Amino acid sequence: MRFEKYFQPGSVEECCALLKEYAGKAKVLAGGTDLVPRLKMGLLKPTAVIGMMDIPGMDEITLSEEGLTLGALANLRKISLDSRLDQDYLVVKEACGHVSSMQVRNMATIGGNACNANPSADAIHGLILNDATAVIASDKGVREIPILEFFAGPGKNTLEQGELLVKFVLPKVKPRTGAAYKKFAIRGDSDISIVGAGARLTLAEDGTVAEARISLGAVAPTPMRAVKAEALLSGKAPGEELFRQAAEAAAEECSPISDQRASREYRLEMVRVWVRHALEEALERAK
Amino acid sequence: METLIGKGEKRIDAYDKVTGKGLYASDFDNQFPNMAHIKAKRSPYAHAKILKIDTAEAQALEGVLYILTGQEPGIDWDQYPKAAVLATDRTLWAGQAVALVAAETEELAEKAVELIHVEYEVLPHVLDYYEAIKPEPAAVIDPDYETRDQGFQDRPADRATNRVSPNIVGAFYMNSGDVEEAMAKADVTVEGEFWVGKKTASPLECANAICRYDSDGGITMWSNGAGVHGVIKQGICRILGMKEAYVRVIQPYMGGSFGSRLNPYIEILTALMCLKTKRTVRFTFTRKEVFCSAPSNWPCITKIKLGAKKDGTVIANDYYLCEEIGAALNNTFFSGRLSSSGAAPCYRWAEKGRTSNMRMDTYAVSTNTVPAAEYRGLGCPEAEFGIECLMNRLADELHMSPVEIRLKNIIDNGERNCYGELITSIGLKKCLQAVADEIGVEEEPVQDMGVWKKGRGCAVGGKQNTPLGRSEAEVWYNSDGTIQLFISCDENGMGATTAMTQIVADQFHVPITAVRTTKGDTAITPYDNYSASSRTTYNLGNAVLAACNECIAKLKEEIARHFGLHPSKVEIEGTTAYLKGTYVQEVNIPSLFVPVGMFTQGNWGLQQGTPVKGHGIYCPAPIHQWDKNGLSDRVWNWFQYSAAAVEVAVNEETGEIKVLRVASSADTGNPINPKLVEGQIVGGVHMAIGFSTMEEHLYNENGEIANCNFSDYRLPGILQMPKNEDVHAFINPDALPDGPFGAKGMAESITIPVGPAIAEAVYKAVGVRVTGYPMTAERILALIKEKKAKEAAK
Repeated sequence: MRFEKYFQPGSVEECCALLKEYAGKAKVLAGGTDLVPRLKMGLLKPTAVIGMMDIPGMDEITLSEEGLTLGALANLRKISLDSRLDQDYLVVKEACGHVSSMQVRNMATIGGNACNANPSADAIHGLILNDATAVIASDKGVREIPILEFFAGPGKNTLEQGELLVKFVLPKVKPRTGAAYKKFAIRGDSDISIVGAGARLTLAEDGTVAEARISLGAVAPTPMRAVKAEALLSGKAPGEELFRQAAEAAAEECSPISDQRASREYRLEMVRVWVRHALEEALERAK
Repeated sequence: METLIGKGEKRIDAYDKVTGKGLYASDFDNQFPNMAHIKAKRSPYAHAKILKIDTAEAQALEGVLYILTGQEPGIDWDQYPKAAVLATDRTLWAGQAVALVAAETEELAEKAVELIHVEYEVLPHVLDYYEAIKPEPAAVIDPDYETRDQGFQDRPADRATNRVSPNIVGAFYMNSGDVEEAMAKADVTVEGEFWVGKKTASPLECANAICRYDSDGGITMWSNGAGVHGVIKQGICRILGMKEAYVRVIQPYMGGSFGSRLNPYIEILTALMCLKTKRTVRFTFTRKEVFCSAPSNWPCITKIKLGAKKDGTVIANDYYLCEEIGAALNNTFFSGRLSSSGAAPCYRWAEKGRTSNMRMDTYAVSTNTVPAAEYRGLGCPEAEFGIECLMNRLADELHMSPVEIRLKNIIDNGERNCYGELITSIGLKKCLQAVADEIGVEEEPVQDMGVWKKGRGCAVGGKQNTPLGRSEAEVWYNSDGTIQLFISCDENGMGATTAMTQIVADQFHVPITAVRTTKGDTAITPYDNYSASSRTTYNLGNAVLAACNECIAKLKEEIARHFGLHPSKVEIEGTTAYLKGTYVQEVNIPSLFVPVGMFTQGNWGLQQGTPVKGHGIYCPAPIHQWDKNGLSDRVWNWFQYSAAAVEVAVNEETGEIKVLRVASSADTGNPINPKLVEGQIVGGVHMAIGFSTMEEHLYNENGEIANCNFSDYRLPGILQMPKNEDVHAFINPDALPDGPFGAKGMAESITIPVGPAIAEAVYKAVGVRVTGYPMTAERILALIKEKKAKEAAK
C-alpha cells in the first residue's frame, strides 16, 4: 500500500484544486473501509490520497424545514442512530444501519457508500426512495443531480475529473408517507446483499397510492428504481394482490447476473419476495 | 488429594490466549530483521499445459534472491505433499504453484511474481465427480496411474479393477454376510444417492513458516503446522536429505488446524528455499492461498440401499462411495477407502447376534481441483450423511420414531461390527436418548414463526481411530518439588496440553498449576507423530501416564534408599513423601536433595538442580491385514461416537435455514476434562452447522475457486449460531479399556450427525428431502418450489 502524497485539505476549494492537479491520479479518503483494502490489495494505485476529514461541516446531518441534508462524510453509524430521523426519515436510518458490521459502520460514510457505486450498496436506498439530490463541487462551481444519475455502472460514478461529492439533499417528506428498506443476505448485515429492496408509499387522503418509489440493489449494473412497478401502484388501493403484482413487475424490470453470491433465478425470486415485504412495511408506516 | 481426572480444570493456555500475550507462529515475523520472503506464482487455470516459463525479468529485479520452478533439477516432486508440488509440464488445478520467489522484501517478492511470465495452453478440465467419472472424461488427471508404483498394494480391489473411468485411482471392496439374500428377505427397502461438497478448513491463522539458516548449515523452523517430529522434521529430513541433528522444528501456539495443517504444504518448500538462499526465509499463505492452494476435505458421493424388517431391524446395507481426491497424483494410503470407515461404526446391519450383511464398494476419483486431505472427521461426515438420511426415511416408512429405529440397530458393547471388529466402548444409545429428549425430537413443534416453519430431527455418527504411530512423554520431578512435562502433541486449540498436564498433576497429587508443560520443540521435547484421528488423549495420555509411573518409581527408589526401605513403602503427594515401616512418617522431598557447591564430589543420588526423570512411550497395536473380502478383526483401534438433535426453522419464501436449538452428545470414554469436552462439542456443532448449510467451493469458468475469501465463502458468524443457552452439550461416557483412565478421543465425531439431523428437521419443517449439503438457501428454495409445482400439477 504505497502512494506518493497524502493531503488533508481544509476546504472544498482546496480539495477540488488538488483533485484537478492530480487529474484522476488521486483518490479521496472518506471512511476508508473500501479504499484501504483496495490499496492494500493493489487494486488501486493512486499517486495521491486526499483525506476529507479536515473540511468543516462535511460530516453534518442537518434536519430543517426544507428537508434533510447529509454531508458526504456523514458517518453511517451516526445516521443509523440519529433519533431525529425517526419521524420522517426512518428508512434513511434503516438503510445505513444495514451496511455491513458495526465496525465498518463506525468508519464508513454515506458519501463513500455512494461514490463506490457498488450495485449492492445498502445505505443509498434511503436516498433513492426520498428523491435525494447529490451536490457536487469543482473549481467551476457547484452542480446538482438526482441521485440515480450519480451511478454509471459497477464501481463507476458520474463524477468528472476534479469534482467532489459534497452532500445529499433530501426534500421534505409529504404527509401519509411510509418507507422501508429490506436487505437480503445469508449472514445478515455483515454479508454483501444478494438483493436489496426498498419501497416508499405516499397515500392520498382516500387511502389510495398517490406516489410510489421502489428501489432495487444488486440486481442491475447500478442501484435502480423499478419505475414500471411504481406506475402500477399509482392511484390504486394498496393491498396484498397489488403488492404481488408490483413485485412481479419489479422482477421483470431488473437484470441480475449469476455470481458466487447467488444465481440470477434466485435473485429474481428474492426481488419478488422482498419488494412485497418492503411495500407491506411501507404501507404500515404510511398509515 | 482428590483425583483431578474428570475435573473441569481451567485451560493452561487460557491466560496467554485471552490476553494476546501468547506467541503464534506469525508473531515471530518481526524477530528476524534480515528475513527474506517467499511468494508463489500460481496457475489461474484448472488444467493447462505450460509452454514456457520466463523468469528473466523477475530474475533481473534487484533484491530477488532465488526463483524456483517445477523444472529445477534434483527435485523429486513425487515425495512432496500433494498441495506443495510445483507444476512441471501441466498445471493440475487452479492455484497450483508454478514458481516460487524468495526476495528481500514481501513487496519485491510480489513484484517478481508479477514479472514471471508463463505461457499456457489451456486444456479442458473436470471439476466434480460427475464430470470426472465419465468413461471418456474431458480431462484425465493421472494418465500414468496404471503403471505408477503404488505405496500400498495389499488391499482388496486396490488397482481398481472395475475402473469405469481413467480418473478412478484406488478402490476398496468389502463384503460381509450375504447382502443380496438379506435384501430379498427385507420387508422394506430404501435407497438414494447423496453428495457432499468441497470445503476448506478455515483456521484463523493462515499457514505460516519461518526457517532460519543456522551458521553450521542446520535449520530451525517456527511453523504453525502439525507434527513437529512426525510430519515436519521427518518430512524435511526425508525429502530434502537433511541430517536429523541439523533440523529443529518449533511449534508456537497454533491458530487452528481442523486437520488441514497435517499436510506440511508450506514447510518443506520453506526449508528448501532456506537452503537454496542460505537465509532466514518466511512463507505465509494469503487467505486466497488457504482456499486455492491448501488441501480441502474429501467430498463424497454415496449410493446406498438399506433393507429392513417390519420391526425396524436393518438387515442389509449395500453401499457405494466415491470420494473426490482432487488433483493428487500418486495413490495414497487413503485413496478410495478412507471414508469407507464411516459406513461401519454405528449399526449392526443384521439381526442381533448375526453376521453383518454389508457390501462396500468404494473408489477415489481425481479432479482438477485442489488436492483433498485431512479435514476434521476424515470423510466420515461425508460418508455417513446418506446412511443417516436413509435411516430417517426408513423410520418414516415404518411409522417409527427416528430414535426408536436407531436404538434397535445401534451396536452394543461386546458385539462385532461389520468388519468383524470387537467393540469395547460405545455409549451411543445414551448419547442419542439424551439429545432426543432435550430437543423433543419425537414431539411436534408449535408453528408460531410465520413463514419460518419449524422442524426437528436427529442423527448419530461414529468415527474410527486409526492406530497411528507412537507418542512419547518426559516428566521431570525437580529438586525443589516442581514438576515439568515435555510433550510434542499439537495444540490445535482442543486443549490436549491441559488434559496432559492434568494427568501429571493427578499422578503427583498436586494442583494443575504446579506442573509446567513444555511443548513442540524437536530439540527439547520427545517424539510424537502428530495430533490426528482424535488420538492425542488416548495415545499421548498413555505415554504421559507411563512417564509419570517411571518418574515416580525412580523417586520412590531414591527416597526409600535414604531410609533403608523398600520402594513400596513410599507414597508421594507433591513435595511430601509418606513412609511406612520406619520411625519417620513423612518427609519433605526437596529436603532430601543435597546441596551442591563448586567442589562437591561424589554427586550421585538426589542432588539439587538435577531432576528425577521419567520417560514414557505408547504405541497402539497395529492393524490385522484384511482378508480377500476386506474383513479383519482389527482394522481400526476404537470408535468415537456422537448423536445430535436439532430444531430448525426454514423460511418458506427464501429457503434459509436457522438452527434454533441444538443438542449434541459425545461418547468420550471417561473424559479427563469435561469442560474441554464441552468446548469441543460446542465448537464441533458450530463448525458442522457451517459446512452443512453454507460452506462450499464455487468455481469460475477457468475452474478457479470464485469465492476464495471470507466475504463470499460463507462461514457462519456468531449471529448465524443458536444462542448459547440453546446449545446443549452432553457427555455420555463408556470407558475405553485401554484408554488412560478409560478415556478416548472425541473431537471429530461431533461434526458427523449434525448435517443429517438438520436435513431431517428440514424435511419435517417443509416436507422436502435433501440429498446433499451444504443445504444453501438457494437449494432449499428450489426443492420447495419443485414440491409446490408437483402439488399444483396433481
